[in-house]
Amino acid sequence: MRPLVLLLLLLGSLSLPRPAAAQDAEPPEGTIIESADVSGLPLDELSPGLRRDIESLVGERLNRERLNQLASRIQDEHPEVIAAVRSIARPDDKARVVFVVALISDNGDLASNINARYVVEGVELSGIPEEQIGRSLRDRLQALVGRRLDNEEADDLTEDLREELPGHTVSRRIERGSAPGQIRVVFDVQEAPWIPFLPTRSKFIYHTDLGWSGALDIPMGSTSGRVTVGVAMDNKDDLLETYSGFRLRVESLKIGTPRLGAAMEFSKLQSSWQDSTAALVAASPDIPELYRSRLTVEPTLTFAVTPHVRISGGVSFSELESLARPSDSQMASAWIAAIGYDQRWRIDGDSTQKAEARYEVRVGSDALDTDLSYKRHLGRAQYHYQRGPNRVTAGFTAGYISGQAPLFERFSLGDSSTLRGWNKYDLAPAGGERMFHQSIEYSFHYFAVFFDTGSVWTPTTDQRIRTSTGFGFHGDNAFVTLAFPLDSGDAGARFMMGVRF
Amino acid sequence: MAIAASFRLLVLAITLTVSTLELHAQSLTVRVVGDMLHLRASGLGLIEARVADHLRDGRAVRVDFAVVVLEKAGGRSIAQATQSFNLSFDIWEQRYAVTKLGATPRSVSHLTARDAESWCVDNVTVPLSAMGRIGRDMPFWVRLEYRVPDPMPVANADDDSTFTLGRLINVLSRRRQDHEAARAIEGGPFRLN
Repeated sequence: MRPLVLLLLLLGSLSLPRPAAAQDAEPPEGTIIESADVSGLPLDELSPGLRRDIESLVGERLNRERLNQLASRIQDEHPEVIAAVRSIARPDDKARVVFVVALISDNGDLASNINARYVVEGVELSGIPEEQIGRSLRDRLQALVGRRLDNEEADDLTEDLREELPGHTVSRRIERGSAPGQIRVVFDVQEAPWIPFLPTRSKFIYHTDLGWSGALDIPMGSTSGRVTVGVAMDNKDDLLETYSGFRLRVESLKIGTPRLGAAMEFSKLQSSWQDSTAALVAASPDIPELYRSRLTVEPTLTFAVTPHVRISGGVSFSELESLARPSDSQMASAWIAAIGYDQRWRIDGDSTQKAEARYEVRVGSDALDTDLSYKRHLGRAQYHYQRGPNRVTAGFTAGYISGQAPLFERFSLGDSSTLRGWNKYDLAPAGGERMFHQSIEYSFHYFAVFFDTGSVWTPTTDQRIRTSTGFGFHGDNAFVTLAFPLDSGDAGARFMMGVRF
Repeated sequence: MAIAASFRLLVLAITLTVSTLELHAQSLTVRVVGDMLHLRASGLGLIEARVADHLRDGRAVRVDFAVVVLEKAGGRSIAQATQSFNLSFDIWEQRYAVTKLGATPRSVSHLTARDAESWCVDNVTVPLSAMGRIGRDMPFWVRLEYRVPDPMPVANADDDSTFTLGRLINVLSRRRQDHEAARAIEGGPFRLN
């Protein structure tokens, strides 16, 4: 019972300044102190110096700054307590001073957050006008004022704000108030970005058959726009070609409205080819010729239908410098249209799931003065489920090309992320015009096992479904994988390692 | 070929940098007080980055600690103890407060970040009786694990796209964002005499 009484007394003392209705007769500064006591802590538990300073207050004039310093010294000597000063006016125009001391652990609110000792001076809604939320919620926010901070109540209000403001992020913080012992509670509300930045493509990867590949993207900018400077170094992990060069991407997530974004990418890449690719291309008149370099400019616009559904449109202009005839080049330009969806849910405190899907079509048409006419459809869906250290990822991709697509548009499987365990140059050295791939992976902490299935083919070749499996260390950014092709007649495993970020 | 060699060097350099930072930053020692084994850890790095930001915004953070006594490095567990704490940051005093959770909670305040971490570690103890002959007659290792189980808001965490070397290292060494922040350090061999 004693701690409760002390605490109530203490918390009353902490309300500085206290509401008028709660004010006792506070003696003015300079009042002669009649007595000075410590409540809640035996005096002999204080250092002799501090004890002496408290005792010497008797007969002195009341100086609140000095009293607060003495309370701080009590806390310094006994960090398990909080101490406050209570000064009471006596009928004989003198003052009585009590240092009220209480164990923090005796009060659940203080034990969970030490700032529960402070009184809320004001509540602020930052990021949106107050009128955007309902009257009753506004009243409940303002009801925090004049009382000690109740963290549980403030958390409940944060949740209620989130519910009332879909499409926004809400977080809570507290700031010092205008006077010691007072605080302001600030609810920061921000509109969730409708359009995210495109992910960076940085990676350094080793693959048993493909060797080292590298790319580094360096994004620079703010929350609504950025410039990404990128270099590719001997990258053979994405496409049929090995390419090196640089890229520059400029993105803006807000053009007048947060629902409309734009991006412009410029790249200049040097390409080299595997012998098997060159041989097959030479023998296949339907496949466009090899190029030594490609220069691409790709402006796109994205419109967010909802925070989770976005449609994009744009155009890609590529000039391909012929490998066989250095002075010649081909244009491979295409319209781009895409629709994407992504959403993440927290199922409970420990489980999350995330779904992503995207369909893109590229059309190389005469209207763009292109030398290569084609249509390329690509659909992709991915689902992640995570519960504690357990994570399941399932993905499906399918693609279809008609016409004469340039080699950088042709599909390939068998690298560090698709049909792991296979070599893409064994499967289709010049890529394919039809493709599907699915992958399922389970990981516990960082140990992962996976199973990949897929096929890449052309209308003139047989479709053969390949499978692979493997295991490894798969962190967020780093991975080390050992993968095995199944039904290949080749028992050899492929080792892959690297970082993607 | 020169480019391929430079990749290898770059990856090696990044890996070494990250590993070296980890190795140099942390150390673990043990001591016996009465019949309990206490730990001391330096460079825990618990109150930093998101955790520190969260605390300095006036919010509380729960931290779960576990001490595991091992018969050898990475070996079998001999004894273990767990303890949870609640951290908060006094915005007027600019000091941290810690509460040891449980049936008999204890609290301290007015601590620096380093002292708050030390207080937590010192209050996760293993009874010597649980260790049997280990320690008296043979050396042992200790692993200290700690995690922040509460999902803390990461609003706009990805919006800061400014490139710095520190950010690059963070990205390379960061664990899954969806996961609780969890870390472990291991030390040994120790003897009780």
